[in-house]
Amino acid sequence: MIRTLIQLAKGGLATPAELFPDLPEYSRGLPMVTDARCSGCGDCAEACPTSAIRIGAAGEVALDRGRCIACDACTGTCSTGTLAADRRTRVAALRREDLVLTNAPKRIADTPPPAPGPLRRSLHIREVSTGDNATDLEIGASTNPIFDGGRFGIHVVASPRHADALAVSGPVARAMREPLLRCYDAMADPRIVIAVGAAAISGVPWEGGYADANGVEAVLPANAFIPGSPPHPWYILHGLLLAMGHPAARG
Amino acid sequence: MSDESMPAIERKTYPIDHLANKLATGIGAGRRLGLMTARKSGDGDPLVLVALLIDLVTGGLRLIEAPMRPGDNTYSSVTARVPQAHWFERSIRDFFGLTPAGHPRLKSVLLHEAWPQGFYPLAATSPQAPLRDTQARAYDFLQVKGEGVYEIPVGPIHAGIIEPGHFRFSCLGETIQNLEIRLGYQHRGIEERLQRTPWRRIPPFAEAISGDTTVGNALAHALAIEQLTGVAVPPAAAALRAAALEIERIASHIGDLGGLAGDIGFLGPAALFARQRGRALGLGERLTGSRFQSAFIRPGGVTRPLSEEMRRSILADVIAFAADFDEARRLLTDEPGAVERMENVGVVRPSLARDFGLVGPAGRASGQGYDVRAALRQPPYDVLDWTPAGSETGDVLARAMIRIQEVATSFDLLHQLLSTPLVDFEIMTTLPDTLPANAVGAGVVEAWRGELIHLAITDANGGLLRYAVKDPSFNNWTGLAIAARLELVADFPLCNKSFGLSYSGNDL
Repeated sequence: MIRTLIQLAKGGLATPAELFPDLPEYSRGLPMVTDARCSGCGDCAEACPTSAIRIGAAGEVALDRGRCIACDACTGTCSTGTLAADRRTRVAALRREDLVLTNAPKRIADTPPPAPGPLRRSLHIREVSTGDNATDLEIGASTNPIFDGGRFGIHVVASPRHADALAVSGPVARAMREPLLRCYDAMADPRIVIAVGAAAISGVPWEGGYADANGVEAVLPANAFIPGSPPHPWYILHGLLLAMGHPAARG
Repeated sequence: MSDESMPAIERKTYPIDHLANKLATGIGAGRRLGLMTARKSGDGDPLVLVALLIDLVTGGLRLIEAPMRPGDNTYSSVTARVPQAHWFERSIRDFFGLTPAGHPRLKSVLLHEAWPQGFYPLAATSPQAPLRDTQARAYDFLQVKGEGVYEIPVGPIHAGIIEPGHFRFSCLGETIQNLEIRLGYQHRGIEERLQRTPWRRIPPFAEAISGDTTVGNALAHALAIEQLTGVAVPPAAAALRAAALEIERIASHIGDLGGLAGDIGFLGPAALFARQRGRALGLGERLTGSRFQSAFIRPGGVTRPLSEEMRRSILADVIAFAADFDEARRLLTDEPGAVERMENVGVVRPSLARDFGLVGPAGRASGQGYDVRAALRQPPYDVLDWTPAGSETGDVLARAMIRIQEVATSFDLLHQLLSTPLVDFEIMTTLPDTLPANAVGAGVVEAWRGELIHLAITDANGGLLRYAVKDPSFNNWTGLAIAARLELVADFPLCNKSFGLSYSGNDL
């Protein structure tokens, strides 16, 4: 026991002081659309394995982070620097359309602050995994001593009866449809649904096949969307705090 | 380090009636059944059964193919003679509609009540499962009968952040008489999707099969494509791939050790291991730009060079981390209460581990010495100084100790791999534009859970006729069912965590 305490003390405080720091520069993060003018060459859209990018004739770029699996195939093809790595960590959104980044004037930073909800001071989460276990691990990490979701009242609970939020990872294929609906039905109001990771948001990369792995919203409407494949624990905390209407989400 | 391309697979065709005999003799002669599946034949002829045998002495691979008789969807089951084929044959029935006559426990393994009868996605041309008003597949759990026997149904959704699967415990008092594990809830139609994806686009998809084994799957895919195309990987790329694979092993084993400590109720080490898992992910992020090391390994090599500055920084942390891990793990293994909790719990005897073909740490804890890195003499492991872990006792403690040994070995391997500069070397070989026709490539990897296989077979036009994936969990779930037998219900979480199996990789 004494040795355990000594070891724990030796490690010092694991939780960093800064909330939502940028990822380190060697990290890829997610792609973003910059102000640099797009040449309209379309190489990025061609390279994207999940059709997350649309390029218009006049160089209008639409990058859907809800379909992005962060494979980094696009940024290397961009000669104008219109697509670049985004190392910021406040990347979640309350509306699906806010995950689509464009080079039109509106940006993710302009997302209107959410109205404070009934779940403001704490959020108890029932996590349901449907085929994206890396995201499960990152949801687990968001409550570990480093990211420490507990300090915001965020706790993962064992029963839907205790839960305010249903956090879904993975694309919800055919065999998980019924169990997910039953879990949701077992939750008391008020309750929200959070799609965690690109697979949950849009079913990528398995959507459109015989297994109907088309994402959460093919089964249940979602109230918050956390991009990434898997999402970084900071992305996850951002999405959860956004859903709570917590001031830390706005930064 | 060798930079030769891999030797080709020996490919042989036999009549279907000889299949059981060929497999049984092969396994008797020191080979192992890597995977067994079926495939279409290019010109609409009957389906063909396919088995990959791995020679544990020479490391050579042999593909045995046996065409079905025209108009007959039944063949003689091989399971009676080769027990490790039991789930493979059930899976072949689920996906191809072929019936292994004489299989001792024939029922669906992945596609059960959620799926309609008569729907065989890998035998169909463009499968589309009807949604409503169809007769669901039937499924009967094994019933244990007798006075006082009752069942505990658990799942598919579990209490923690865990993947879904159904566990049906038949108990007498507090003792588990039988555990039936029913999976398939994560089935996303992956093999069919990969087969119709242009092959150059497969790598990011392969990484998503089981995200906790991103590196293992990326590497197995790359090795399969490289064997198909006869491409040799530059030695520096092979070294960087091995570094990524060992980092994935360290992170995963430490995470599971934390889970094990948590299930014992020993929260100090659990918290320390959770932090150390984060530190291991940080090593991977510095090597590859991603905590799960995605988009790094690609057919032909790796995508990102390792700068001298980064190599030194990773190496310095590897050395310090190895010492810190050893201190943390001693909190668990020097604590008599914790050791006693794991000792003689969930025993899998070596004879059963051999018969059912258990792999990875679970196999090595039960006397199976098989480690792909050594058995297949894969570069760069063939020139590094290391030995696979091993034990005979087969209990939870043995599986924990194997993982601890393997973390230490992985730190040592990283030290060897990263102790010389890797800059200014080629890290990517150009691939040909097309895949060769009527060819086969297999990628076999010692992922952190054990033997992971990707098998790619092309048709007469060089298109993918079959892309099969075998996760180590597909072998090892049976091991968990064996381990739980005659244990207390309360011991099950510990047994489960000591195996730490994948549902996504198993269900595909």
